[in-house]
Amino acid sequence: MIFFEFAKRNLARHKFRSILAVVGIVIGVLAITALGILGNSVRLSASEQLHLIGNELVVFPYGDVAISEDNFEQIEKIAANSIPVQSGVDKVIFNEETALVAIYGMRSEDIPNLLEKEEGQFLKHGSSNCLVGSRIADDYELRVGERATIKTQKPRIVGVLKERGIGFDINPDNAVILSDKLFSSLYNSSGYNLVIVKVDDVTELEKIGETIEDRLNKKEQVVVVMEMKMIVEGIQNLFNTLSLFLLGIGSISLVVAGVSILNVMMMSTVERTKEIGVMRAIGTSKKGIVQMFLFESLILGAIGGVIGAFLGFGVGYLVDVLILKEASYLFAPSSLVYLFLGIAFGIGTSVISGLYPAWKASKLKPIEALRYE
Amino acid sequence: MNVVELVEVTKVYELPRGSIKALDNVSATIAAGDFVSIMGPSGSGKTTLLNIIGCLDTPTSGRIAIGGENVSGLDDEELTKIRRDKIGFVFQQFNLIPTLTALENIAYPMRLKGLSEYEERSKELMRSVGLNEELGENKPTELSGGEQQRVAVARALANDPDTILADEPTGNLDSKTSKDIMELLKETNERGTTIIMVTHDPLVASYTKRTFRLVDGRIESFA
Repeated sequence: MIFFEFAKRNLARHKFRSILAVVGIVIGVLAITALGILGNSVRLSASEQLHLIGNELVVFPYGDVAISEDNFEQIEKIAANSIPVQSGVDKVIFNEETALVAIYGMRSEDIPNLLEKEEGQFLKHGSSNCLVGSRIADDYELRVGERATIKTQKPRIVGVLKERGIGFDINPDNAVILSDKLFSSLYNSSGYNLVIVKVDDVTELEKIGETIEDRLNKKEQVVVVMEMKMIVEGIQNLFNTLSLFLLGIGSISLVVAGVSILNVMMMSTVERTKEIGVMRAIGTSKKGIVQMFLFESLILGAIGGVIGAFLGFGVGYLVDVLILKEASYLFAPSSLVYLFLGIAFGIGTSVISGLYPAWKASKLKPIEALRYE
Repeated sequence: MNVVELVEVTKVYELPRGSIKALDNVSATIAAGDFVSIMGPSGSGKTTLLNIIGCLDTPTSGRIAIGGENVSGLDDEELTKIRRDKIGFVFQQFNLIPTLTALENIAYPMRLKGLSEYEERSKELMRSVGLNEELGENKPTELSGGEQQRVAVARALANDPDTILADEPTGNLDSKTSKDIMELLKETNERGTTIIMVTHDPLVASYTKRTFRLVDGRIESFA
């Protein structure tokens, strides 16, 4: 392809200038790729840490009063798989160290339905033992069989839970789980602080939530229903916006690079006016001139894009390892997409920037161009 | 056969200070195998005439036919094809493409046309214009003026055109080299290519068979 050959040689003629134009694209693509990978890694790491369950409703009491036993029974009639939870915060002594932790009281049959254990056993019905969350187990080096001291009671730790992450229902990682019986006897409480409703069919979620609110809040508002799906979507929207914002910042530097390519190519058309005149005179078509210039911008964009994308990948790697301390997000398909997106944006920007100079050069009248000194 | 036919060709340039008639009702025919020089004082319309014959410019009025084909009213793409296939250009400043080697410059019109045996033929053309094959890989800046003009003549001959148009082909050369180039053009003409040349040097014009004298855009005499 003769015009591709021309493009290569014309770029080689002004090496320094071509390198500068490529550097512009490299920076733009680097920014897009690195920021894209960063945004995506943050999102991946967040969704890994957040325990987001799409098929849950959480019913909270409205105001200070707990959800009464009667109200819970009504909820249970609407959705059979409902888990009542009592909660509080108290000082607990582990191995002579005092810690302020969350305490949950749950029916023993509900616990395996909601949580997973790392070691040991779950609670038996009406048990006076306890389970501890993974963080507490780590922090106080607790083993199954040891005892915790809560007020007057010394429940034996029979199981350690798996790490669950930050949840919107309960946060067991930093908590002690007791049976409902032990919780009630310790705190002399009645009613529940929240009810978790599990729904098999996600499409039913909204309807069930509405039914609960309608029935329980008939006379006065006693409960608030939170849909986990809504929260999940909200967070995803937040991260999508963040990614888009970072991409926007990257695009600005690419636009600057595009302007510099436009500038270089315009300079080039002026400098090569006479040469273009000669080429046109001896039989080069306008299309050929356009091709030659577009190949030039394509080469600049492709080189800059590929270098920029790989540098961006490297920067993404550094950021992931240094800040998120985890390199695996880098190779997630949703991160790798930014590699190709960066290259595509780089090539796209420079080809678009080359369009006007190419068109301008092809419009030169051969006789006027020949006369140009 | 007439390779060039001009019928009442007029060219008017519209300038801010008023219009200038560069060519005024010029009619002429040039037969195949002719060797014509166009002479005249500067501003007499020599180059305009050559540009119009070379399909680089279009007349304001009048008709022009190249190789029997009426080119008035053809669009840019068609005119470009005529320049590529039927006409060869030789310029005063050689005007080789600086990024191409000598051989590549000669091959370029053939590659534009899509001919496949351009490499063999460019070497042949190099020999026929009296250039050593070793110069083929040199860039134009590495060649002397005379060598560059020989490459330009070879390039003009690449697509085997009916006519070569030469605008002051010896204007940038010393007298010895000028003589060599004129000998080359004469040989080329003897092999059958029509040559139309603009010059203001009577010695150069003496190599041609006929001379058109232009004054104020009109052909004053055919000699």
